Amino acid sequence: MTIPLTPVLQHGGRSGAGLGRHAAHISAYALVAIGAFVMLLPFYYMMVYATHTNTDILAVPPPSWFGSHLMDNIADLLERRPMFWHSMGLSLWIAVAVTVLNLFFSSLAGYAFAMFEFAGKEKFFGFILATMLLPAFVSMIPTVLLMAQLGWINESRALIVPAACSAVGVFMMRQYIGSAIPREIIEAARMDGCSEFGIYWRVVLPLLGPALGTLALVTFIGNYNNFIGALLVMRDQDAYTLPLVLRSLQGTSGITWGALSVGAAITVLPLLVLFVFYSRRLIDGLTAGAVKG
Amino acid sequence: MASSISLTGIGKSYGPVATIANLSLEVKAGEFMVFVGPSGCGKTTLLRMIAGLEDITQGEVAIDGQRVNELGPSERGAAMVFQNYALYPHMTVAENMGFGLKMAGVKPAERDAAVQRVAETLQISALLDRKPKALSGGQRQRVAIGRAIVRSPKVFLFDEPLSNLDANLRVQMRVELARLHRELGTTMIYVTHDQVEAMTLGQRIAVFHAGKIEQVGTPLDLYHRPGNRFVAEFIGSPRMNMLPARFEGGAAVVLSAGAWALPESGVDLRGLQTVGVRAEDLQPGPVGGGAVQAEVRLVEQLGDATLLHLLVPGSDANVTARLNGSVHEWAPGQLVGLRCAADKLRCFDASGRALA
Repeated sequence: MTIPLTPVLQHGGRSGAGLGRHAAHISAYALVAIGAFVMLLPFYYMMVYATHTNTDILAVPPPSWFGSHLMDNIADLLERRPMFWHSMGLSLWIAVAVTVLNLFFSSLAGYAFAMFEFAGKEKFFGFILATMLLPAFVSMIPTVLLMAQLGWINESRALIVPAACSAVGVFMMRQYIGSAIPREIIEAARMDGCSEFGIYWRVVLPLLGPALGTLALVTFIGNYNNFIGALLVMRDQDAYTLPLVLRSLQGTSGITWGALSVGAAITVLPLLVLFVFYSRRLIDGLTAGAVKG
Repeated sequence: MASSISLTGIGKSYGPVATIANLSLEVKAGEFMVFVGPSGCGKTTLLRMIAGLEDITQGEVAIDGQRVNELGPSERGAAMVFQNYALYPHMTVAENMGFGLKMAGVKPAERDAAVQRVAETLQISALLDRKPKALSGGQRQRVAIGRAIVRSPKVFLFDEPLSNLDANLRVQMRVELARLHRELGTTMIYVTHDQVEAMTLGQRIAVFHAGKIEQVGTPLDLYHRPGNRFVAEFIGSPRMNMLPARFEGGAAVVLSAGAWALPESGVDLRGLQTVGVRAEDLQPGPVGGGAVQAEVRLVEQLGDATLLHLLVPGSDANVTARLNGSVHEWAPGQLVGLRCAADKLRCFDASGRALA
């Protein structure tokens, strides 16, 4: 009697659980797909509008596929903003300089906090963390005044120097070094006659790859896109960074959407390239050090 | 070139807590000295103080008679092998081994030659281009030892270097370390909590307990003539049997379950509280007539030996007797009479100090 019943019951149970899991999978994919669609849609339209004239873009309904006016829009952009390529170079220079300096100083400070014992260490680290809680706008006016007093207005160092070391970077490096670099390696280097800076440079820094990669990406993107900071200290057109150039295309007498879109598309290209090549590292690095392996 | 190490009145405190207090020890030039003791006894801290990796709160460390307290780790002429190898993961084996020489400004050609020479000694020449992650535990340990040797230090410091290896590899590396010491003739200090490693490697052993040295001596000294109960029980496997006892009638140790005769040594044994005897010195036989009675609880056959686990009635003392070969005449529940030669008995007073 039990022989025919058992398989039927087991089959029914498995099928129910399987269907449930399947439905959960589909729901999860659907949610992610909707999220990705919502986030990618503006990018798509930015690319599409970069290939259309203003008239096409303002038509109802607006174009949803690529047109043939890309070169016209680029020419229009360069005519309106002849310094565009200079601004792009300036933006890249500032982002690269800040990234290099931030990696250096944050890893140096993070190493000190992770590996050395000194008076007031915890309080000092707490103070650095506390600065992360302050809204960026709080320090805006003092920063501008300071830059003006230093005579750095319209100079790239006004954006580079204040961002050369970040609390987030110090925190991230301290956590990573504390969990990923064994203290014995440092001591072995000390026994080998390496100087304290030499230990940082020759032993610690080469082992920080994942954390440095992540911090580099976050820092580069943040500074390349920095609008408010540049708006405050870069006042002349020839000192404009890309976000300021794009903003300046939005005048009161009408906006040339094609030129603006092509400018935005060119601006975003370096970030897209970075993302395509380093997205895996970004994700790995953000979770690195969270759990001690 | 071998160097002597002299520790005088060494103390180490972390705030108000003293982990090592007023410790003095002489390590002779070319000697293989082992620091052994349970976890947290201060042996590694002392090694790190000699290395210069830990500040010295009080006292003096001297190498070849020269005070080194104020010198940095690399200026003391000591090389250290760490418990977890501490190899630089981003460097090849050759770069790892040559790093110390590079820091000392040795030219690349000389450096490479020195690395090659040591690699041949340790039979790791084929591994020189590999990174540490591509090595087994035993190979990593060899590289760590090679990194220490290549600098031709005056003193080698080993911090439990074999504890991460499996049992077979540990035995093999133990033999190699002994060979290396014979060939190099350099002073070596070796920290371990494994008393078998201590007994097999050390020319002399310092037994540590709670930040103090309990006894320093040759392995057989410590085994046969422990200075106190701690050393007696720490050295040797199975550990020395300890039985509560009292001194009666001038020459007899009386236990709750019998008596053993004591040798006439002229030592005052009136303070005797405990008698110690090694497992291999106990001879089980018939009950009565100069024997201490015990009940067999368990018989363990090890192949080359048989261990009898016994309980002495009335004292709750667990005793182990080791018999050579496979012995089948004893079974759990059986009563046996334990006999012991008078000169094999160790007597301890109430504080645990050895009396004879």
